[in-house]
Amino acid sequence: MSGTAHLAFAVLALFALALIVRLVRLQALKAKYSVLWLTVGAALAVAAAVPGVLDWVADQVGVAYQPALFLLLGFGFLLLLAMHFSYELSRLETRVRTLAEQLALLRHELDSEQD
Amino acid sequence: MRTAVVIPAFNEAEALPGVLAELAAAVPDHEVIVVDDGSSDGTVGVAAAAGVTCLRLPFNLGIGGALRLGFCFAAEEGFDRVYQFDADGQHDPSQIPVLLAGLENADMVVGTRFADGGESTYSVGRGRGFAMGLLRWLVRRATGRRFTDTSSGFRALRRPVLELFATDYPVEYMDSVEALLLAVRRGFTVIEVPVQMRERQGGQPSTRNLRLAYHYVRVLIVLAAGLGRRSRLGAAA
Repeated sequence: MSGTAHLAFAVLALFALALIVRLVRLQALKAKYSVLWLTVGAALAVAAAVPGVLDWVADQVGVAYQPALFLLLGFGFLLLLAMHFSYELSRLETRVRTLAEQLALLRHELDSEQD
Repeated sequence: MRTAVVIPAFNEAEALPGVLAELAAAVPDHEVIVVDDGSSDGTVGVAAAAGVTCLRLPFNLGIGGALRLGFCFAAEEGFDRVYQFDADGQHDPSQIPVLLAGLENADMVVGTRFADGGESTYSVGRGRGFAMGLLRWLVRRATGRRFTDTSSGFRALRRPVLELFATDYPVEYMDSVEALLLAVRRGFTVIEVPVQMRERQGGQPSTRNLRLAYHYVRVLIVLAAGLGRRSRLGAAA
């Protein structure tokens, strides 16, 4: 990759990091996710800022074509993340459902008290 | 013996008044519990006008969720027997004694449209007939018992099953098949009695074909996997 591209990606990674930090500070992102995303952001920033680090890692694990390693890691990460979100969504749905039922029961109780 | 009838209703303002009037005439001593499943068409008003208990869900949960709420309420109120009744007029109040009589020697009774010797006139198309046949066969494999109408929503239960269903009722669509499996698997006596049913009296079927197909496949997978998905009501119990 050329120097210009590296610079561009470093800027992008920094931008992502700044966004994550901002979301965490606004408490728009739960801490458990912030750790995750900060790690990813930092890894991206390092990979972008230090030319050759990805090549070095690929060499160490024996991957001949370095971009493939990057794509593999990225894909695996996203897959795990999607699974985790499905799990969280299912749990949330169960809870929302239970809340709705409880709300209906309470509303009825309230109505019959007013009569 | 106190008996309650649970009627899940989603946008059934058209047919519900007739159903409630019929019930009031046929079974005046049964407590009617309408569960409004987030309707937007004045279903709640219909129930209120008829002076029956109405539980209002803040948004649509689907029939399984509505039923579970009804069962939960009936269990808390201490009813001994509960039966489900459709808000669209498909079920015939004259068949209620037939259904409840079955509870004399069973924990759960399913009113079937197709039982041998039944005087049913209910007809289904060929595609639906095949789909229901496959379902019957799989339920037979899963339970070791023969049920002719696994998706019938005309059912009665008594106390122990009511308590089970108040917390563990399958909340996704096609809940009826899963509920049948659940009751059988927990060792309850489940029987079928032949009943007559009518065509729906108004409103729209709650599910379109594609969604129906999806849930049908989902239930097939559940059956194949041999375990029904249950949902706990947690702190409510």
